[in-house]
Amino acid sequence: MIVAERKPLGEIVEFIEGFRRVLVIGCGGCATVCLAGGETETKIVGSALRIAARKAGRQQDVLEDCVMRQCEPEFVEAVPGRVRDENIDAVLSLACGVGVNFLAERSGDVPVFPGLNTKFLGATAEPGVWVEMCAGCGNCVLHLTGGICPVARCSKSILNGPCGGSNDGKCEISPDVDCGWELIIRRMERLGTLDRLVEIVDPRDWSSSPHGGPRRVVREDLRQLAAEAEEEKATTA
Amino acid sequence: MDTRAAREAPCLVACPVHTDTRLMVERVLEGHYEEALDLLLEANPFTSVCGRICHHPCEESCRRHKVDAPVGLRQLKRFIVEATGEYRLRRRGPAKRTRKERVAIVGAGPAGLTAAHDLARVGFGVVVFESADEPGGMLGTTIPRYRLPYEVLREDIDDILALGIELRTRCAVGGDIPLTELQRDFRATLLATGLSESRSLGVPGIDSHGVLLALPVLRAVSLGEPPPLGDRVVVIGGGNVAVDVARCARRLGAADVTMTCLEARDEMPAWEWEIEEALEEGVNLATSWGPRAVLSDDGRVTGVELKRCVRVFDDEGNFSPAFDEDQGSSLSADTVVLAIGQAADLTCLRDSSIRIGSRGQLEYDPETMVTSERGVFACGEVSTGPGAAVEAVADGHRAARAIQHFLDTGGLLKQTPREELPTIGDLPDDTIEHIKQRARVEVDRPPGEERVQGFSEVERGFTEAEARAEAQRCLACTTGAFVDEERCAACLTCVRICPFGVAAVAKTASMPEEECQACGLCAAVCPAAAVALKRFGAERIEQDLSRLLAERQKAAPPALIVSYCCLFETTSRKFLEENPEDVQTTGVARVLVPCVGRLSVPDMLAPFEQGADCVSIIACAEGECLYPTAEDRLGARVEEAKRILEEIGLSGERIELWRTQESAEVSWTAFWEISRRKVAGINSAERGEET
Repeated sequence: MIVAERKPLGEIVEFIEGFRRVLVIGCGGCATVCLAGGETETKIVGSALRIAARKAGRQQDVLEDCVMRQCEPEFVEAVPGRVRDENIDAVLSLACGVGVNFLAERSGDVPVFPGLNTKFLGATAEPGVWVEMCAGCGNCVLHLTGGICPVARCSKSILNGPCGGSNDGKCEISPDVDCGWELIIRRMERLGTLDRLVEIVDPRDWSSSPHGGPRRVVREDLRQLAAEAEEEKATTA
Repeated sequence: MDTRAAREAPCLVACPVHTDTRLMVERVLEGHYEEALDLLLEANPFTSVCGRICHHPCEESCRRHKVDAPVGLRQLKRFIVEATGEYRLRRRGPAKRTRKERVAIVGAGPAGLTAAHDLARVGFGVVVFESADEPGGMLGTTIPRYRLPYEVLREDIDDILALGIELRTRCAVGGDIPLTELQRDFRATLLATGLSESRSLGVPGIDSHGVLLALPVLRAVSLGEPPPLGDRVVVIGGGNVAVDVARCARRLGAADVTMTCLEARDEMPAWEWEIEEALEEGVNLATSWGPRAVLSDDGRVTGVELKRCVRVFDDEGNFSPAFDEDQGSSLSADTVVLAIGQAADLTCLRDSSIRIGSRGQLEYDPETMVTSERGVFACGEVSTGPGAAVEAVADGHRAARAIQHFLDTGGLLKQTPREELPTIGDLPDDTIEHIKQRARVEVDRPPGEERVQGFSEVERGFTEAEARAEAQRCLACTTGAFVDEERCAACLTCVRICPFGVAAVAKTASMPEEECQACGLCAAVCPAAAVALKRFGAERIEQDLSRLLAERQKAAPPALIVSYCCLFETTSRKFLEENPEDVQTTGVARVLVPCVGRLSVPDMLAPFEQGADCVSIIACAEGECLYPTAEDRLGARVEEAKRILEEIGLSGERIELWRTQESAEVSWTAFWEISRRKVAGINSAERGEET
């Protein structure tokens, strides 16, 4: 899932203090699962913003909503209407950055602010702890490294590790961070495939990663079918 | 939303009249004793009686049974009655007569009067004919006063009669008035004459002077005219009537009272608690013996000769005693009382054409409740055979439905003798392990030798504090968590937090009703707000808050404290009765929550939106929470709420978490006083910062 964390409320208050009617929108997807921006967090943030406004003597209405996922057109299609009909003049999204973008593109001249800091693609390590496990680099090498990602889990993202900064299984950047390459080696030992590390992995092409510019995935077949269906609907109508 | 469970709590299902005992307990906890009484009387017009002598099948089926001991539901019922005397008098009144038809009821016992009650309430004219001087049937004439004081029975009867039912006492149908006359004058007649005759025995010497029948003895005792019994009394029989006779005999001064019965000790048909109380009062038991002969001297009883009973029931469970004639024994006696069973007195049928069966019993269809004559119905023990008071009440309800249907349609309504409802069943073993044990509140009773000095009531009722403590033990079956599947993100938070190991996630979360303990911890933390509680959900907290704070808008107190308090720590109604003026004068708005462990962070913040200066959460005493881990979880949520206040520039100190000391009444006021002073300090400090 995409892991995110609520921004400090002080920062959020600054975003919205100049607006008369603010809509806080949570997301029922990843942001809910990582306990940062679901229905309950939306209530908490909404409540906190109203209390802050009351304290500051500010006339400000803070409304709340939560959609299934802010990254799907169908789930957010009602939002612009609500923004217009209820005279909302700012939106605070409690989704990951994707949701903020998606809403911003659909909210006309009403600003959309981020309520969360989007952190990484990760997993729940234990209740209350989430760790990064994928960097979304666009070209998986996990088959070479025992299923442990060197791009996401090595601080330097090196493909032929470990480096000299590996110390007792920890990374030199912090004693709290496991050395990704230590994990890879232990895993491959267990799998009996350690010998594969003898082969040096060539420098890779990073154009599939964010360095190559905004990325997209297209399934032409589905796109084509959807377009045809639309066309048919239009003609029968 | 309809929160009525598809499957009911076992206590409700077990009760012959399906009293919602679970809801009754909830009403007691909330301090709504009057609503609890309404609920009880709706199900059972003999609520006072059942609070005293019901054999309480609800308790036998209580799911707490497997944890420690069942909840004292019968005593709670008695408490409700005793706590609401004045209210009950106020609610008493006539039913509106909306139907021209009249119904005659023969017999003013629990079955007949229940039917009378129901029929009067749906608008029929009802006349009850009773051969005795007073109404009540067996409850009034044979149940000893130390178990059921007559004035307690009168509470129920007076309520019923106040509906506008005409009662004709000393009017024996079949004697003073023929049944045919009732059939002529009334559109329907209900025979509810009970089993008022004692059976006798066919053994040598049975006609000796000093051999008595149980029911006449008990009737004479209740009238205050007991027969002389002498010093040594033998009671033949092992049922409840036999126990009543034996205990009465002890009270009448007999020093040596022995009950003898065919059954072994563990087979005796009397309620176990009755037997135990009899033993405490010095009654002797001679079990597994059958009478061979009554011994006499000059026609005067001197004892009973016994033979060993080796088996009471055959392999099919039918009554078929077998004896070892070689083993014998005898008991000396001045009086022998026969309590071996009861029979119907069918003199009411004299000169009527209603059929009597080959074994002398009233012919009757158990489904339609009709006798051989159209328009004449029967209910209660005369048709069902011997049973408990509450079963007679249930049958009275059924008869009223049958008669109403007959008068509405002219047809007969088929009803099963006992309506079976779906239940959530027993607690699973895995859940039991996690439930904290808590001792049942037992009332002490005077020692046996003191009790036999008179006929005063043996058992006392609960005090309010005892009732509230006992009510807390209820597992609140069927009122637990449920999931809005559309909202659920399957995040597993509920699974990780559930202290009972109940929550599970497949595609979405679920909390199986038969396992959930309704602690509310999952609902408090669900990030999707997808979990709600059937009992006392978040919406209830919101409603309570807005109602209380609406009053406050009119005249703001200097500082407003919203106090979420643990309902389970109250020993009286002092803090339960809502008085909006309280908020004005004390500045404290109380929201009583059944375990504050279910408060979410939004619950803690909401009062500040409405102008509260402080949220004062009062939990139970340290280590006392019913729900494992709830105290720590609550602590963590309080810290989170404090951090949020700090982030928006308010002092986190505005949220406080207290632990009750001793009880609500002892400690809460002091906590609020401390909060009040503290918040005054914080207010002036924050105002200072702003300027």
